[in-house]
Amino acid sequence: MASSVITVNRDTRPGYYPILYGMWLTLKNMFETLFVKGRSATIEYPEKKRNISGRYRGVHLLTAREDGTPKCVACYMCATVCPAECIYIESGERPEKKIEKYPTRFEIDLLRCVFCGFCVDACPEEAILMSRENDLVGTSRAELIIDRENLMHRGKLAEVGPGYRPDDHDVRRPVHIAALERLKSEHGIVPGMPNRGH
Amino acid sequence: MPKCTIDGKEIEVAPGTSVIQAAEQAGVRVPRFCYHDDLPVDGNCRMCLVEIEKFPKLQIACGTPVNEGMVVKTQVTSEKAKEAQKNTLEFLLVNHPIDCPVCDQAGECYLQDQYMDNGLHDSRTVLEDKIAKRKVVDIGPILLDAERCVVCSRCIRYEREVTKTNLLEFVNRGGSTQISTYDGGPITHEYAGNLVDVCPVGALLSKDFRFKMRVWFLKETDSICPGCSTGCNMTIDHRDGEAYRFRPRRNVDVNKSWMCDPGRDLYKTVGPDRVTTAHKAGGAVAPLSDLLDEVAAKVQSAGAATAFLASPHASNEDAFAFKKLALSVGGRLDFRVGNPQDKVTVRKDQILQREDRHPNTQGLLNLGLGVTGVDALLADCKAGKVQVLVLQDAGLLEDAGVAAAAKQVPYVVAIATHQGPHLEAAHAVIPAAMWAETDGTFTNFEQRVQRFKRAFEAPGDARPRWEIALELLTRLGKPMNAATAGDVFVEMAVETKALGDLTHRSLGPMGRVAGSNTQAQATA
Repeated sequence: MASSVITVNRDTRPGYYPILYGMWLTLKNMFETLFVKGRSATIEYPEKKRNISGRYRGVHLLTAREDGTPKCVACYMCATVCPAECIYIESGERPEKKIEKYPTRFEIDLLRCVFCGFCVDACPEEAILMSRENDLVGTSRAELIIDRENLMHRGKLAEVGPGYRPDDHDVRRPVHIAALERLKSEHGIVPGMPNRGH
Repeated sequence: MPKCTIDGKEIEVAPGTSVIQAAEQAGVRVPRFCYHDDLPVDGNCRMCLVEIEKFPKLQIACGTPVNEGMVVKTQVTSEKAKEAQKNTLEFLLVNHPIDCPVCDQAGECYLQDQYMDNGLHDSRTVLEDKIAKRKVVDIGPILLDAERCVVCSRCIRYEREVTKTNLLEFVNRGGSTQISTYDGGPITHEYAGNLVDVCPVGALLSKDFRFKMRVWFLKETDSICPGCSTGCNMTIDHRDGEAYRFRPRRNVDVNKSWMCDPGRDLYKTVGPDRVTTAHKAGGAVAPLSDLLDEVAAKVQSAGAATAFLASPHASNEDAFAFKKLALSVGGRLDFRVGNPQDKVTVRKDQILQREDRHPNTQGLLNLGLGVTGVDALLADCKAGKVQVLVLQDAGLLEDAGVAAAAKQVPYVVAIATHQGPHLEAAHAVIPAAMWAETDGTFTNFEQRVQRFKRAFEAPGDARPRWEIALELLTRLGKPMNAATAGDVFVEMAVETKALGDLTHRSLGPMGRVAGSNTQAQATA
C-alpha cells in the first residue's frame, strides 16, 4: 500500500514561465492558421469542398438501360431490406416481354433514410447506387421525397460523382447513369473516377 | 392400422396413407412438386424420393402406400435421399430462367424454398443454352410462363379431376415439353384462380394480383368467404389495412383446397367507397355517439311501432345482438328478403358455389330471426304502422320492395358499409365494419359454424354491427354483458340450443357442425 503513495510538494511555485509558454503556443497556432498556407484545419465551405471517399453513401441514384429506361425491375429487394422503410415502389408492365416488370413509381423519403446502403447491396441488377451528394437542402418535406425521374437524373451528380456500390467483381461492369451520360454527350465533360480516401 | 417408422419415429396411420402423408404426420415435410393433397397422385417430379428399408432403390414418397412395419428414412436422416433430391432439383432447374426478381411467385415458390434447403449450387447451364419457351401468354384470368414450368401436371390433373374441363395439356416432347390450352384459348370456367394456387412455381400467375405486391409483405388472417352459403375457408392476405387477395384455406369437409373466382374477387369490395362517418338525412355528418343517442330515443318512443330488418350478410353475433335489440322494444323482426332460405342448399354448379349468395342465411334461421315474415313487415311499413325502421344492412334498400316500404316510414336507420345513392332514403346512417374487420362466425349450408377473424381495422368511425346493436341496447337501458364478439357468442350459445357448448375457441380453424337438434330449431 505504502509503496504506491507518492508525496507531492505543494509549496513550490512554477513562476510565470508555463503561462507565457502556453500563451505563445496558442498565438503561434492562431497566426499560423491565418497566414501560413496549407496550415489551416478548416476549409472555405461551400466554395471549397472536401474530397469525399469514393465509397461515400450519399443520395441514391437509379441507373438506366442503354435506351434510357430504368434498369430497375421492381423486385422490391431494396424496399424489403430497408431498415427505415423509406422506399416506396409501384410496379407495372414493361412493353417488351423479356423483362416484363419495371417501377412505375419509385420514391425514396430521404428524411427517413439512414443512408446505410443496404438497398445498394440488395439490388440484383445494380439499379440503385449511391452518389457522393451529401448537402441535401429542401424548403419543404415533400421536396425531400425524391421520385423516379429525380433519382435517375440527380442534378448535382456531375459535380460530386457516384459513390457507394458493392465491392465485388461487378464493379468493373459499365453502368449507365443518365445524368453523367448527358453531361458527356452535351458538354463533353467526364467527371473523374471517385478518389478513394482523402 | 399399419405402423411404420419414419426417421426413427414410430407412428400409426390410417390404411392407404402414402409415405408422404405419414411423414407429414410425423412432422417431416418431404419436398414435392407434383404431389397435392387434393389431387390424384402422379409421381412424375421425382422430388420426394426417400429411402425405405428392404427396397433396393429409392422410392417416391407420394406414390408408396405405408405397409406394416415399414422403415422410412427421409432426407432428414438419409444422405442417399438428400443427394437424390438435390440431383432431381438440379435437373428441374436446368432450363429454369433466372426470373425471381420479376416473378410474382417469389416468396412462395417451391423451387426457391427447395433451392435454399437442398440446392445452393451454381448452375451448370449457361444462360444462353437454356431452352426458350413462351412467356407472358394471356390465357384469360391467368398468365402462363412456360419457361418457369416444372411440368408437374398439377394444373392438368386439376382441370381433369376438379373442374372436369380438361383445358390444359402438355405439348411437345423432352426438354421442350410445355403446358398449353387448346390453340392458346382462354380458361373459361369460374375456378381459374385455383390453378395459380396449385402451380408450385411461377408458371401460372394471376393477372389480377400481378405485380401488385410482393407476397412476403402480406400478413395472413384466417377468414370465411362471404360470397355464398358454402362458406369456403380462406385466408385474407393484407398489408397496412388493405386486402390484396383471398386464398383458399384447406378444409377437407367444406372446400378442400379450392375457392371460386367470384369469391376471390370480393377482396375488391373491402376497401373502396366505404361509409366512414355517421350522418343524418342529406349527408349532415354527426358524431357517432350523438346519432346513436338519437336512434335509441326514436326506437324507445316508437316502442312496438318499430321494425327491424336483419341481413343474412351479418354474422351470428351481429344477428343475435340485433335480435336482442328488436325484442327489447317488442318490434317486428325478420330477414328473409328475396327468400334466401329456399336456396341455402341449392348448388349453383357442381363444384363449390351455391345459389344463396349470402354467407349466413342458415345461421339467422337457426337463431330464429324470421319472426314477423318479410311480407307482413313491409306491408306494415307501407300501411304507416311503423314509426322506425332499422336496417341491419343498407344494401337491403337496393331491393325495390324494401325501398318502397322505407319511403312510408318517418325514420329509417341504415347500418351501412358502402356509399351509394340508396343511402339517401335513410334518416340516420351508422357506419359499419365489414366481416374482414371484426371477429365473428358464419353458419354455412350444412350447419357448420365457422369462425372468421379480424384482419385489420375498420375505416373511420365504422364499428362492427354487433357492437352498434350493443350500444343501442345500453342506451335503451337493457345492456348485454359482452365486450367482444366472443362474449356475444357465449351469450348466444347459452340461449340457442343449436350451438350447444360451442365457443369461439372450441370452433377451431375448421369450424364445427352445430348439434343435431338444429334442424328442428330451423323449422320451428
